[in-house]
Amino acid sequence: MTADQLAAVAGRPGHARGADRARPARRQTSVATRQHRAFYMFTAPWIAGFLLLTIGPMAFALWLSLTTFDGISPNWHWIGLANYRELLSDSVTWGALGRTGLFAVTSVPLSIVAGLALAVLVNRPIKARGIFRTLLYLPAVVPPVGAGLIFKQLFDTNSGATNGVLDIFGINAVAWLSDPYARYVLLMTVLWGAGNVMIISLAGLQDIPRELHEAARVDGASAWRTFRSVTVPLLSPVLLFQAVTGVIASVQTVMPLLLASQPPPGGVTSVPQSNYLYMMHVFAEYFAYGRFGYASALLWVLFVLILIVTGLIFKTTSGVVFYNVDPEAKK
Amino acid sequence: MTTRLPRLALYAALVIITGLFLGPFGWLVITALKSTSELAASPVHWWPHDLKWGNFADAFTNIDFLGYARNSLIIATIYATLVTLSSAWVGFGFARLSAPGKKQMFGVLLGTMMLPQMITLFPTYLIFAKLGMVDTYWPWVLWGLSGAPFLIFLFRQFFAGMPRELEEAAIVDGCGWSGIFWRIFLPQSWPALATSFVIAFTWSWGDYIAPMLLLSNDRSTLAVAISTSYVNAQGLPVNNWIAAGTVMYVVPILLIFLVAQRGFVTGMSTSGLK
Repeated sequence: MTADQLAAVAGRPGHARGADRARPARRQTSVATRQHRAFYMFTAPWIAGFLLLTIGPMAFALWLSLTTFDGISPNWHWIGLANYRELLSDSVTWGALGRTGLFAVTSVPLSIVAGLALAVLVNRPIKARGIFRTLLYLPAVVPPVGAGLIFKQLFDTNSGATNGVLDIFGINAVAWLSDPYARYVLLMTVLWGAGNVMIISLAGLQDIPRELHEAARVDGASAWRTFRSVTVPLLSPVLLFQAVTGVIASVQTVMPLLLASQPPPGGVTSVPQSNYLYMMHVFAEYFAYGRFGYASALLWVLFVLILIVTGLIFKTTSGVVFYNVDPEAKK
Repeated sequence: MTTRLPRLALYAALVIITGLFLGPFGWLVITALKSTSELAASPVHWWPHDLKWGNFADAFTNIDFLGYARNSLIIATIYATLVTLSSAWVGFGFARLSAPGKKQMFGVLLGTMMLPQMITLFPTYLIFAKLGMVDTYWPWVLWGLSGAPFLIFLFRQFFAGMPRELEEAAIVDGCGWSGIFWRIFLPQSWPALATSFVIAFTWSWGDYIAPMLLLSNDRSTLAVAISTSYVNAQGLPVNNWIAAGTVMYVVPILLIFLVAQRGFVTGMSTSGLK
């Protein structure tokens, strides 16, 4: 993934309007230097934060991952790549990684499709669509802890509404929050927040010129055909952005899992097996076992995997994603 | 006549879907109003026999609800205020000024937008522990001061769209860039400032992991307290209190969102994901 590709997804690449305009020759250097200085002064807080709060901790984690540091014992020592070797042969790590991959490849496409479908629905000229938009988006602003607790109530074995509905049809109560159903509950918490995808897709849909849809209709294209051949390609940068951020968010999912264990974080290992995702494994290694070195190695491996996966997403979609980047920005 | 049925079907679909999306809220409120014995009843009682409004009072008094709410409010206000101002400051630099390396820096900025925060959080926690910042609000001050990539990007888009004439006269008059920012650009950017503040406040109000890691129990936030502190004498979670506490925890955010909704949604849609 290159900076240019990212910038193209996000909008215009680093191009400040008017900032590069030519100056009278005599004052050029002084004005330019002053502007350079001003630029660094303005970006300094972010640069400092990036170095101290991002690069610093990452480097620290890399160093930790080469040690047996546990946060308490003073007798830690340097063990080179031993943590990484252990990781490669650790079946718990591989299992957690596999479940995380499975969760990402199911939850991300599902929420993108659901969000896009909702956006198409509320983009139609219907009455009260502002109200529908707001209500469908509302779950997305519920804080993650709130959402986790709400789903815990909803799927409680004894007092949950879902089992109440099943009971009406004479179906026995299901222990939703344990194996193997917990994974579906997790998926539902994600879909409940599809309003986030909806809002961004909606903004994308409204950017598509009306004429294109009208032209397609005049040519006799069906609604589905228009959607597939006009809407989706024009929306593809937005969908790509959501795929990338969705994968990253799904890999980090930890809140609903933590809440399913009592009390966190000591009981992290009480999470049902089918929801024991990679980040949960990191939590367990940190807090349940105090193995800071090994947990840091886990984090670094995850980081590299995310870089590879996002890189692959950009590479494999480069032929399919249609950038309508304005030509001025290419200068 | 032919379009009548699809239109009806469209409304029916929308109403059903909206119902499914709002259902979990409804269940939360119903749970909050049940008595403990009704909670355990099988089959499920759909509607409580008498509404136990007292659960809300219990949820309020069984933990130091106001104290935790105050902690949440302080942290969220400190963070949202600082991060909004610093993101606007940095966003202005990226939007209106240029210097060698700017393009690469902007690429890195967009890259960090995609960096999982969890990956830096544990090492950051260890570093803060070494610096004696655990159990203080300093980490939120530092996070706030350094700006958030997403908000910096939002402000960059906003400032880049403002006319060049705004700064030209000020430059001729010898006004410095920071003067231009504070006196000319910032006072004109209320929509972006409000959007950023609401987003940052919501992040902080909803954050669970950072306060759980960094703060001791009585200094912690409402998010942590409602998910860990409603237990009975046997240490088991009390679901109707949890539900009542969650309602009281979620409502402020829903209200803020409903009030700021118009600006919030347009703020998101102008974030340049085109």
